[in-house]
Amino acid sequence: MTTSLPIDHELHPAGAQYVGAKINRVEDPRFLRGEGRFVDDMSLPGMLHAAFLRSPVAHANITSIDTSRAAALPGVTAVFTGQDLEAEGIQPIVSRAFLPGMGDNLREPLPTKKVRYVGEAVAVVVADSRYIAEDACELIDVEYERLPAVIDPEGALDPGAALLHEDLPANLIGRKSESHGDPERVFAEADHVFSHRFVHGRVAGVPIECRGVIAEYDRGREGFLIYSSTQIPHLTRSVAAECFGLAESDLQVIAPDVGGGFGIKAHPYIEEVVIPFAARRIGRPVKWIEDRYEHLSSAVHAKELVMDLELAVAADGTFLGMRGRYNANAGAYGCFPQTGMVDAMCAATLLPSLYKVDHVSYEILAVYTNKCMTGTYRGVGWGAGHTAREVLIDDAARALGRDPLELRLQNCIPSEPYRSVVGMNYDGGSYQESMEQARDALDYDALRERQAKLREEGRYIGVGFSPFVEPAGFGSKAAAAVGQKHQVTYDWGSVTLEGDGTVTVRMGFHSHGQGHETTFAQVAADQLGVRMEDVRIKYGDTEGVPYSTGTFASRSGVIGSGLIMRAGGDVRDKLLRLAAHLMEVSPADIELSGGKAFVRGAPDTARTIKEVAQYAYFGPGSRQLEGDMALTSTRSYDPPESYSNGTIAVVVEVDPETGKVTIERTVAIEDCGVMLNPTIVEGQVAGAVAQGIGGALYEEFVYDDDGNFLSGTLLDYLLASSMEVGPIEVHHIETPSPVTDGGIKGMGEAGTLAAPAAVLNAVADALSPFGVTFTSTPITASLIRDAVAAKREGEQ
Amino acid sequence: MKPAPFEYHAPETSVEAASLLREAGGDGKILAGGQSLLPLMNLRLARPSVLVDLRRVQGLDGTLANGGIRIGSMVRHGQVQRSHEIQSRVPMLTEAMRHVGHPAIRNRGTLGGSIAHADPAAEAPLVAVALGAELVALGPDGTRTIQADDFFQGPFMTALADDELLTEILFPEAPASAGWGFREVARAHGDFALVAVAAVVSVEDGRLRDARIAVAGAADRPMRIAAAEQALEGAAWDAGTRSDVEQIVRDALSPAGDSHASAEYRKSVAGVLAARALDDATKATGSTA
Amino acid sequence: MRTVSLTVNGNPVEEEVEPRLLLSDFLRHELGLTGTHVGCEQGVCGACTVLVDGETVRSCLTLACQADGTAIQTVEGLAPNGGLNVLQRAFQENHGLQCGFCTPGFLMAATALLERNDDPSEEEIRDELSGNICRCTGYTGIVRSVQAAALQLREGTVTASEGTAG
Repeated sequence: MTTSLPIDHELHPAGAQYVGAKINRVEDPRFLRGEGRFVDDMSLPGMLHAAFLRSPVAHANITSIDTSRAAALPGVTAVFTGQDLEAEGIQPIVSRAFLPGMGDNLREPLPTKKVRYVGEAVAVVVADSRYIAEDACELIDVEYERLPAVIDPEGALDPGAALLHEDLPANLIGRKSESHGDPERVFAEADHVFSHRFVHGRVAGVPIECRGVIAEYDRGREGFLIYSSTQIPHLTRSVAAECFGLAESDLQVIAPDVGGGFGIKAHPYIEEVVIPFAARRIGRPVKWIEDRYEHLSSAVHAKELVMDLELAVAADGTFLGMRGRYNANAGAYGCFPQTGMVDAMCAATLLPSLYKVDHVSYEILAVYTNKCMTGTYRGVGWGAGHTAREVLIDDAARALGRDPLELRLQNCIPSEPYRSVVGMNYDGGSYQESMEQARDALDYDALRERQAKLREEGRYIGVGFSPFVEPAGFGSKAAAAVGQKHQVTYDWGSVTLEGDGTVTVRMGFHSHGQGHETTFAQVAADQLGVRMEDVRIKYGDTEGVPYSTGTFASRSGVIGSGLIMRAGGDVRDKLLRLAAHLMEVSPADIELSGGKAFVRGAPDTARTIKEVAQYAYFGPGSRQLEGDMALTSTRSYDPPESYSNGTIAVVVEVDPETGKVTIERTVAIEDCGVMLNPTIVEGQVAGAVAQGIGGALYEEFVYDDDGNFLSGTLLDYLLASSMEVGPIEVHHIETPSPVTDGGIKGMGEAGTLAAPAAVLNAVADALSPFGVTFTSTPITASLIRDAVAAKREGEQ
Repeated sequence: MKPAPFEYHAPETSVEAASLLREAGGDGKILAGGQSLLPLMNLRLARPSVLVDLRRVQGLDGTLANGGIRIGSMVRHGQVQRSHEIQSRVPMLTEAMRHVGHPAIRNRGTLGGSIAHADPAAEAPLVAVALGAELVALGPDGTRTIQADDFFQGPFMTALADDELLTEILFPEAPASAGWGFREVARAHGDFALVAVAAVVSVEDGRLRDARIAVAGAADRPMRIAAAEQALEGAAWDAGTRSDVEQIVRDALSPAGDSHASAEYRKSVAGVLAARALDDATKATGSTA
Repeated sequence: MRTVSLTVNGNPVEEEVEPRLLLSDFLRHELGLTGTHVGCEQGVCGACTVLVDGETVRSCLTLACQADGTAIQTVEGLAPNGGLNVLQRAFQENHGLQCGFCTPGFLMAATALLERNDDPSEEEIRDELSGNICRCTGYTGIVRSVQAAALQLREGTVTASEGTAG
């Protein structure tokens, strides 16, 4: 499929040889030698170590904090509480309201009056070692006056519910309703209405590297150097500067190598204020490395939603309307910048997905509860809403006696660009084709035959399909499309041809597994005709690279490539003029490739780009050229909405007596438009699918009714290993986006977004002889076995 | 997540180790492989003031076959798993080791450490109970032998006194007519058992004899299901017996539910796994029951 | 404080340590070998896996003083010439890593596996590596990397420790 691109930048200028190729990653050797530099690998002279005392109770007034015993422990330098920060005027982190009736949420870096969830930091100890700091935490005496805990999102707005934030009238974060078409009518007239309440479990990205902060204060310049394991160094700087009342450039935030993010590190955190505060007070660098308990209890959670969905279907299987109510159990605080509304808004706005439905309404709300605050995790609420919808569609197919894939194909939008009834502008894709390709890859008919045969032997296999659209390349317009008009994104980057002929790309997009040092080098090398090994991608240091909202929401690939094409195109024009001047020909006759500039069709005329660069920097003749000849350009890019699509299909075997699920096969069809590097696309898909499988079967943060946190170790919050995930096959379709630079669509989240529905549908399909359906995640072995048993008992 | 301070000793004899425990007055802990103790210490859920490391103690890391087999308490899970001698005499133990954590855990974790730790969902204690192992404890006053059935007294609680350490585990010789089965369901590979069942049974003249059935993960300790063992005595292994045993095992248990599995799940799956383990055991005898 | 003497990547080391110091912290912060990573200190994730006397061990579940008298190998010791050995190269060629944080643990676990068995099945590889959690790759690239390295070792074109200019 080809689509003309209305953009003057070219992803593949003449001589291009890298974009689209499977190229090994250039960042790998340092990690393979153990020479990556993560926050905990850094050490500054005179550095001290911090540990936080965290609340053991879900909701309580802090009556008193006595730090004297802790401060007296040998090796302890200082102990700070919220009072110390308040006394110096450190401002709270503000999560801003953006809807009528919504209030700002202010979070003190350390609380002065109340604790609102188990794991909330209450005090910080700074000591010679982490060991001593932890010893001292045990010597801090805090008196708590217990308050009732609000845990259930459906009860959070009850008049009698305890209030989390006294400055707000209720535990409501925000509420919004929308209606498109005439859903009341179609639901009244439909032949069939299917509905369920689906409760999505509380999950999170849980990278293998926890978070960490090192801060140093420069007393002379009155500024901070902050190392943080974050996806968003610039936003972190913005927030910390505001808390300290400093100019942004008084702070230098460096995100070095970061051991995974998945959205959890896409928020500023209180530790990024408290640790710099401590460093300033003490006058020495301070390091805090989040441990796994702190990470699980206090880094953002995500996707806990109670969803009431309805699907109106005509007698012939046509989808007529969808209605949804989404209640997000968003935890104790608002997350910057999205607020606790993020999951519910994302879930709701993607309700119609790739189905042609003309009548849709939804209500969304998010409530404060005494749990860890929620934020972003790969696929965000899109994934939770997707799971609830796709499970309901499978239930409908079974009830109607229809094949689940056929029913979806019948209702699928066409491959051309399409505006959904809720106002999302899909830029075209392989919506039906990807389903057909998944079906063919599985040899679907043969699979159904095998299923029937195995059932006779008392074995239960099942298949589940999950076709998806993934909002990607997240810029301001995409943010608006998911109801987050307040979230203006801002990204710029520069391309520079250095005097030695190498190219430096500076961008704010951090890379923590995405392989930017490779893919962006491919794009830049093609733009300037240099060899990839002569390109360096710089990121992560607010002092050294231009501003970026950060790496999340599958945005870096689209925006970063666009920036490089734009800025690189500018530099390319100058390079062509310089080469032409040097070689005494017309710029139009010059081709750049493989590190050389030559007259088209006459490779023996070649001058190396190094020679041209040296001519520009040091050659006297180059000054005769008119105009601005700086071999650098800085550009911004805020792309239109674009959407990747594809289908995930999973085949499972289920033991109905033990509830054990074995994943036999996973097929992922991915269409992310023009690919920069298929190897990296495949890696992103496989990794995302594994997380999706984990969320479907194993992962959940559990609190009891009193708000006690029961998932403080990785034995409780279970991550899938190589044995659970099984082989994942990735197939590509390439439908260029007609609206983005280069036709690229962002990707990386779809597996996490779509795989859970495929798993749930496959398990329900396997167990269809028992009539088992699911209305929650994760579907643990216990839940599956108990569901089968309940059906069996019901029949007796 | 760092351990609280403690006093550390690495004695060279078990007698010395026992007297160090006595001096610690109930606040001492044996460090064997450390794969259960150190996570608890990192979390500060365990904070012994004295740690007695057995790594230098002689004579705890061997195996001696003599009809049955004596296994030193410091023999690592990985060594148990790879030992041909153990596999030929106590194949159930070899099989159970596959389910213990992951290779790196098995390379450090010890059989004695796991048994003394007495996690109600752990595999080694389950096998010890199912096979009627004898556990040799050494204290300041000498050694004594404790039957596995008496050894486990509750979750993480054993018959060992504060100043005793486990030195040896004796697995008796299995009769030639006996077969065994070991079944486990965990949330994920290598995770603690949600439920595990170990069964041994002999078949004589088509009749089941001397069955031993033990369940882990569904009680406060690895638990023999005496009622099921009695029901099997003299019975044939047919569909009726199978379903009876499943029900008896299920009814014999009253586990608590938690965030990983419901009480009903643990009861019911214990029954299912018991039947499956007995399928394996009767098949392994080579005789038709 | 106790004295421990051991070898790390072939180099003799003698240090005074506090008894409670974890081996992971000893390697990282006393010896500066920061290639061994810490992901949970609960013995689950496997990021801190090192070889002690040739066997994989969780360094977060081992006290430094327990390592007295042992020979330890860390990721820094895999390709001493600053290049990549066959396994490391296979990880690069088969996209066996993304963020790189869990990677040293996987390399050490796979090294131990290939030492024992140069022809592991996919199931054996998955089983052997199941104590190491990767949150990025979905394991597909990792399994393929180990298979590729095993193939090269079997073909005898390279030895496990052979490095190439990186």
